[in-house]
Amino acid sequence: MVTQKVTVINPSGLHARPAAVLAKAAGKCKSNAVILYGDKKIQIKSILSIMGAGVKKGAEVEIQCDGETEKEDLKMLVELIESGLGE
Amino acid sequence: MEQIHVDKTASRGIAAALVYRYLEPDLMPDTQRITKEQVSEEKKKFDSARSAVIRELEELAAGNEIFAAHLEIAGDFTLQDAVENKIAEEGKNAQMALQESIDEIAAIFEAMDDAYMKERGADIKDIGKRLMAKLKGVKRPDLGDIRSEVIVTAKDLYPSDTVKLNPAFVKGIITEEGGITSHVSIIAKSMNIPTLVGVKGILAKLKEDCMVCMDAGQGIIVIDPDEKVRREYKEKEEAYDQERARLVSLRNRPAVTKEGKRISLCANVGNVEDIRNALPMNIDGVGLFRSEFLYMENDHFPTEEEQYQVYKEAAQLIPDELTIRTLDIGGDKELSYFEFEKEENPFLGWRAIRISLDMKEMFKEQIRAILRASAFGHVRIMFPMIISLEELRAAKEIVEECKQEMDTEGVEYDRNIECGMMMETPASVLLAEEFAKEADFFSIGTNDLTQYLLAVDRGNKKIADRYSYFHPAVVRAIGQIIKAGHKEGIKVGMCGEMAGDSSAVPILLELGLDEFSMSAGSIDYVREQILN
Repeated sequence: MVTQKVTVINPSGLHARPAAVLAKAAGKCKSNAVILYGDKKIQIKSILSIMGAGVKKGAEVEIQCDGETEKEDLKMLVELIESGLGE
Repeated sequence: MEQIHVDKTASRGIAAALVYRYLEPDLMPDTQRITKEQVSEEKKKFDSARSAVIRELEELAAGNEIFAAHLEIAGDFTLQDAVENKIAEEGKNAQMALQESIDEIAAIFEAMDDAYMKERGADIKDIGKRLMAKLKGVKRPDLGDIRSEVIVTAKDLYPSDTVKLNPAFVKGIITEEGGITSHVSIIAKSMNIPTLVGVKGILAKLKEDCMVCMDAGQGIIVIDPDEKVRREYKEKEEAYDQERARLVSLRNRPAVTKEGKRISLCANVGNVEDIRNALPMNIDGVGLFRSEFLYMENDHFPTEEEQYQVYKEAAQLIPDELTIRTLDIGGDKELSYFEFEKEENPFLGWRAIRISLDMKEMFKEQIRAILRASAFGHVRIMFPMIISLEELRAAKEIVEECKQEMDTEGVEYDRNIECGMMMETPASVLLAEEFAKEADFFSIGTNDLTQYLLAVDRGNKKIADRYSYFHPAVVRAIGQIIKAGHKEGIKVGMCGEMAGDSSAVPILLELGLDEFSMSAGSIDYVREQILN
């Protein structure tokens, strides 16, 4: 299992649009990917789980990947969040 | 004929047309229980409805971010798991299982404290309706089928509904639900369709094919208008459209008076979105950025980093001038995460700069955030509610302290950043000459100034007629402030309601005001007055 912290830079946090981009990308991961945010555990492959957590701009979250391609998956997800998820 | 007054204007404008009642077909779930043998059949029903909806959404999602998100939600395993679980474990049919799952997920969003996320419950329900219509085999009505001029009334309108909306035929919208940040409001504003939301009970009052006139800016709806009113609204509509076009055509002209004085025309904003909305009006800057919204919309005191991100984005958007007012809470503005002691006279109590100076560490976080953002544009700091030179000096002292810290840390900021003050207390008027020597600019806050000078509570309806910024005492005070500022060569602006009142423009120009800052909706009107 690998983890890394990353800061959410999207102006309105992880709202519908960036959440959709993130869930779609995570859907391609072979490892099990979650976001740890405060005491919440978010399933990154589920847009509902991401949106439901209400992650705000500037929040530091921890990405955790566990499984076959965990290293590549973690790198891809961190870079995607750092780049602002297409916003 | 019946006239209704409402207060939630989502998009201004005037319209007169026949009503189009947009009613959902019956989407109530079947309540029949199922047996163990039917489980796989019900799961299959849901699965094929889901596949059909995904196909529908795939078409809509090309080039549309809202539907791209809907597509993800429809295919989400959280939703699928919830529905299948209810079918298998609780003996519910696919329709019931869907309805309950959607309600549960939507409720999570609706319980959030963020207005934007609250509204996303509507997206979930929208997808739920799509799925339910497929399960029940019914067709939903289509706004794209409208081929004559109408005013659409509905319980609420969802993204699926508005995507087909054609502004050539839909002249106005009235909904029973929804807020001014809801989906329909945003779309209506972008399409310039007059819209009123949250009009409870309107569907019961409007029969099919009845005539309706509406003035969305004023919040007036007239049902079954007589011939005279109808003509009146048609004329008003045309006049409104012409007036809008004319005002918009003035936007490329800088605000220069007949005498040749260049006036700064600025916007009052509460967030970055407000700045984006004001930019098309060709503004000279932001005369008032109300930083308190950052504090009020949060569940904790926003950190330096959180504030910095917002101020930086704002400074980059509006490089000419961004005036950030430091925290102005207390009075009628409270914070959910900080308990204020009950006060006998909150407007004369612990508020604004008084709080900031007493809570120095919190204040420093804000000042540091503003200073860091100043590296990206022309940022100015403005202190609210100052009554004494000691307060102004103390606040400026804290700015200096932050600057020194940042110098040691090697953090970039604008070394010449201006520190100005709001002129909104009687004390600041009487001491204006002294303040002008130490402040870099003045901005007159007419709302509090009027209330304090006249001793009239602006929220008290009983004495509302006594509250006026045209009172000679207020006008004289404004004149004294401007004179004192100009004597020391500093810029004097105004960011209260009066600055956005076009009837006040002549007198304010006469008194020598340099900058008018107001909500975006008034800018076009004030520009016109200044040009004349």
